[in-house]
Amino acid sequence: MAQERVNVDPILLSVFARAFRSITDEMSISLTKTARSPILCEAKDFVTGLYDADGLMLEQTENLPILAFSLAPVCKYIRRYFGDEIYEGDVIFHNDVFSMGNQNNDVAVYKPIFFEGRLVAWSACKGHQADIGGAVAGGYNPNATEVWQEALRIPPVKVYEKGKLRKDVWELIFANIRFPIVEEDMRAEMGTCVVGERRLLALLAKYGHATFEAHKDALFDSTQKMMEAEIAKIPNGVYRGEGYVYYDGRNEGSKYTIRVAITVSDKTIAFDYNGTDPRTNGFVNGTYTSSASATILTFLQMINPNIPHNEGMTRPIEIIIPEGTILNAGYPKATTFGNHLCPPNADAIMRALAPVIPDRVTAGWNNLLCSLSTGQDAAKNDKFVDIMFMGMKGGSGAMRGTDGYDHIGMIDASGGVLDQDYEMFEQQTPHTLLKHELLCDSAGAGEWRGGLGTETAYRVGSEETQIVTFGDGDFEPAFGLAGGKDAGLNRIELRQPDGRVVTPRNKDLLTNVPKGTVYHQIASGGGGWGEPKHRLANKVAAEVRNGVITVAAARDVYGVVVNPTTFAVDQAATTKLRAT
Amino acid sequence: MAFKVGIDVGGTFTDFLVVDADGGPRVFKTLSTPEDPAIGLINGLGEAARSYGLAPKAFAAGIETIVHGTTVTTNATLTFSGAKTALLTTKGLRDAVEMRRGIREEQYNNRYINVPPLAPRYLRIGVGGRLDRAGIETEPLALAEVAAALALFKGERVESIAICFMNAFANPAHEQAAATLVRKELPQAYLTVSTDLLPAIRFYDRVSTTVLNSYVGPKLRAYLQSLVARLEAFGFAGNLLIMQSNGGVISPDIAMQQAAVTLLSGPAAGPGIGLGYARAHGREDCITVDMGGTSFDAALVQNGAAHTASEGSINRYRIALPMLDINTIGAGGGSIGWIDEGGLLRMGPQSAGADPGPACYGRGGKLPACTDADLILGYLDPDYFAGGKLKLDAAAAKAAIQSALGAKLGFSIEDAAAGMYRVINNNMAQGVREITIKRGYDPREFPLIVAGGAGPLHACEIARELEIPVLIVPKESSIFCAAGMLVSDLKHDFVRTYVRRLGALDQREVGRLFAEMTNAGDALLDAEKIPEPRRRHVARADCRYVKQYHEVSVEFPLTALAGADIKPLLARLFHATHNRMYGYSLEEQKTPIEVINLRLQAVGVTEKPAFREESYAGADSSGARKGARRIYVPEEGKFATVPVYDGHAMRFGCRIAGPALIEQVNTAILVTASFDCVCDKFGSFALYRKGREDLVTSAIEGR
Repeated sequence: MAQERVNVDPILLSVFARAFRSITDEMSISLTKTARSPILCEAKDFVTGLYDADGLMLEQTENLPILAFSLAPVCKYIRRYFGDEIYEGDVIFHNDVFSMGNQNNDVAVYKPIFFEGRLVAWSACKGHQADIGGAVAGGYNPNATEVWQEALRIPPVKVYEKGKLRKDVWELIFANIRFPIVEEDMRAEMGTCVVGERRLLALLAKYGHATFEAHKDALFDSTQKMMEAEIAKIPNGVYRGEGYVYYDGRNEGSKYTIRVAITVSDKTIAFDYNGTDPRTNGFVNGTYTSSASATILTFLQMINPNIPHNEGMTRPIEIIIPEGTILNAGYPKATTFGNHLCPPNADAIMRALAPVIPDRVTAGWNNLLCSLSTGQDAAKNDKFVDIMFMGMKGGSGAMRGTDGYDHIGMIDASGGVLDQDYEMFEQQTPHTLLKHELLCDSAGAGEWRGGLGTETAYRVGSEETQIVTFGDGDFEPAFGLAGGKDAGLNRIELRQPDGRVVTPRNKDLLTNVPKGTVYHQIASGGGGWGEPKHRLANKVAAEVRNGVITVAAARDVYGVVVNPTTFAVDQAATTKLRAT
Repeated sequence: MAFKVGIDVGGTFTDFLVVDADGGPRVFKTLSTPEDPAIGLINGLGEAARSYGLAPKAFAAGIETIVHGTTVTTNATLTFSGAKTALLTTKGLRDAVEMRRGIREEQYNNRYINVPPLAPRYLRIGVGGRLDRAGIETEPLALAEVAAALALFKGERVESIAICFMNAFANPAHEQAAATLVRKELPQAYLTVSTDLLPAIRFYDRVSTTVLNSYVGPKLRAYLQSLVARLEAFGFAGNLLIMQSNGGVISPDIAMQQAAVTLLSGPAAGPGIGLGYARAHGREDCITVDMGGTSFDAALVQNGAAHTASEGSINRYRIALPMLDINTIGAGGGSIGWIDEGGLLRMGPQSAGADPGPACYGRGGKLPACTDADLILGYLDPDYFAGGKLKLDAAAAKAAIQSALGAKLGFSIEDAAAGMYRVINNNMAQGVREITIKRGYDPREFPLIVAGGAGPLHACEIARELEIPVLIVPKESSIFCAAGMLVSDLKHDFVRTYVRRLGALDQREVGRLFAEMTNAGDALLDAEKIPEPRRRHVARADCRYVKQYHEVSVEFPLTALAGADIKPLLARLFHATHNRMYGYSLEEQKTPIEVINLRLQAVGVTEKPAFREESYAGADSSGARKGARRIYVPEEGKFATVPVYDGHAMRFGCRIAGPALIEQVNTAILVTASFDCVCDKFGSFALYRKGREDLVTSAIEGR
């Protein structure tokens, strides 16, 4: 179809860019306000986005970026899959990891947007659903070896066609999912897509389709130029790094290595994962899109943070992940853990680039160690499922000139996924929250210290509770840089009413956890940057007073002698100690 | 005589608008007195009395109502100068207020650091004692631990205490017991009990709001106590009302206890009055900007109403209280110019304030402020600032600019001043972007209503940056918010929690609860002498589908309660609102609806000052011309001599071609080379892009 020629107006260009973002933000608010599962409405484990007619990314609100960079590939896939059979009023579900999905539990809704009778765009959102069928409630099944033990596969499927509900399809899907709230939360996702559709149509009605198209293309080009300029700041070369995965959920003592070779060549950057260890025979495997998302989100932290998130941003980036490796396991392997291979993947990239762009790479972040509890809330006569978001959030790595961020959590979210509100946690589960505080001495020491980790405890309030752990960071701590120290290790312990202490492995399934058991978790800090003895003594003393560094650590690690009563620095003793 | 007075205390100036039943409004402006803003306020009232030829006592006795907006709490938060604050909370949970649910607002920015907690960690103490989720005590409050914490607070000379316990929304008993001990042990300390301020679920929202309230409360309390005493001594016996962040007003007693409701109140009166000026040009939409001495506020008004939010934040600290959606940045006449680590010229957010103020005030300020630059650029007449009340010292301004900036940048004083002007204008244009482009609205479609003493000198350049073609500078622009306060309605909010499935709603019971709230509202409106015809009652029910965790508030006519079954009406309204806001409803699925809260807002509609229309006096403005001055013309990047007009002598229809300056006692308006100006029928100055007379035709043709 011939497009009328439209001149690009620079102010209108930024209006469009901001309008797209405003729409995806509004979609994000809509899902937060309407969802039932605390994973969505409290922790915001979801992404909303807008895509053009061909599935190219216009903008996204990425509460959890690891989900984010699989939406556009799936949109393109759906566009090809249905070809000419995409109609106004269609609603399409998708989670299938073998057609570009990132994780089985992350279930997406796509809604084609029609303007003046033709397909002009898509609105979409994807959230972590409380259940998706498979052998274990909540989806994390360390015993799985194949996808069918993990989840119901949903390749692109129309649940509405031309505005009409396909009741049989709908019931087939929800007959295979345990919790009724998932059905409601998928309705909330559909509503969110309608919110995006309405706002985008209003924008199109105002400016017209030709103007939208011209400015969209100009936006991609301008973002691509910005991205190229960012890449051009990195010296050309090939840089290599490694990250490590500990325990595959099946073989005690197992360890896998992620190897990346990063080639910077003027305005483009390529991440090549050839040489990465083979896939596991458990669920500790990535999908292409979960691993590529990890690569993109890690790299985005090393460049101008204000770059718009659209198709132009990803054009100068090439990502090669051979099938059959732990980062791209291939059909029909189990992959539910794949999102959580982001931290070691990020470690590999950070280790590769730290010597090259030392002012833009942080020390290591605390790796994720998480848990999920399910059971029966007797007082409410209802099932519950909860991901222990507040417990899993450790500290970020320090960088020259900036301390790490306390309690930010896994690098895949970078502060986008929130703690449950304490009172909402107690409303939504039968558990009692006993502790959630910053953990003393948990930060990797340095001239710039890592972010602090946390200590969390709750008392289990249901009989026959099932607790699944998934994560890492209990073998290898977040690494320090430039003389900065490593942080501590993650740990989960269950203290049962009979006095027995159970320490689950980092990928484990515990059934029949007795009521009254105290769940206790340490999410440790981030790595430090630079020699701790160069840290300002007054900063150290202030942190001793605030109880986040002990007097002993101040003395032994930082070389600062702090009076334990007045919290004053003993200048003479400090100078002497720091000289040695 | 019956006077109504709007008083807006800013960081630099205190603005007054006095309206009496017979004459027109009168404008006054005095320098703020930050150490005790009440001093400047009383000074201004004295000046007003003189202007009416009345003795202070006689004037004071004639004042029916004072509506007062204060930025005491805002400034305390932005400058970290609030009280030394401690938090008493549930054991194990003391860090919630510092961790802020683990959010980093800029996800991809590893240089983005957290904000410091307003109650430091060593003054946040967790004590034993526990309520379960239904509010039932599972462990008694550990009074000995409370006592030990209070002993620590005493030793540390804590000025203010916040109490927030887990699950207290369901049962305030532990909080009240701890509060009793605090009142006994630290009777001087300011105290906020979370469930008194915000009796709602969500621990983080409550603890953050409670700590903010305690952090700013002592300053506001001391201020209002001093103000009430001084007003009494002055002879005032009328009704004093304090502006809230939601655009309504409350009594000083409530404001002292709930200081946080004033945190964003400074600019809250602006959008309402801004709309009034936009309406003169047939518009129901506008952007209001207000550039005072310390801060710059921008708000968007659409379809005749300002955008509102039920929660928000100040300086990244969360407040779960209703407020108007206003973007505030640190840019004003007092904003200080400085050179950053990278050698770049920056403006603000630090402000010279009123004391010492910009260097040109000659009060000992040594740092160059925006007003110093405006003076050097020729925009201000050193002998006519504040109508000549404050003589500006150009030599001091030059010295400050030279030593802090010029020498470091290798610039001449004029070039450095021009740089300061450009940088601050760009900052303010970004501030307007936040409430327009960032939310998907095109600023070019809205008239820019310009307020604040310094605003009209900078507005053309903000508009040029954003390509906004028309600006309106009201005659009362320098006291914009003070004027807005007088058009603010009295607003009293009430809430009753009533948790029921809609199907089980008892209409008689609901009717009784609304009658209770209506009576309470009427009692306040009686005290405020609002007659029956000017009262409005807005009824709402917060509803949700079962198992949702957020409610949708639906408004319904209060009279419906007396009629037939209200349930179908509420269901219809809720389904429709849910669909409009969130893209779907569950009407077909017959999903049950739950009612959570019933709300009533009792509104006392105030009499709005009438805009007096002038008759068309022709386009000729030569009679208002008072001279010429050499000023910096930003588009040309150089100085040129331009005509200066007396704004007070300009009448409806008068036209001026830019570049030109218009001077009034409290404001100067710079019409840059890109704009022309015409005086509209209300005496406002309408500035429009050259060649765009079509945007202001009513003023030009004199209709």
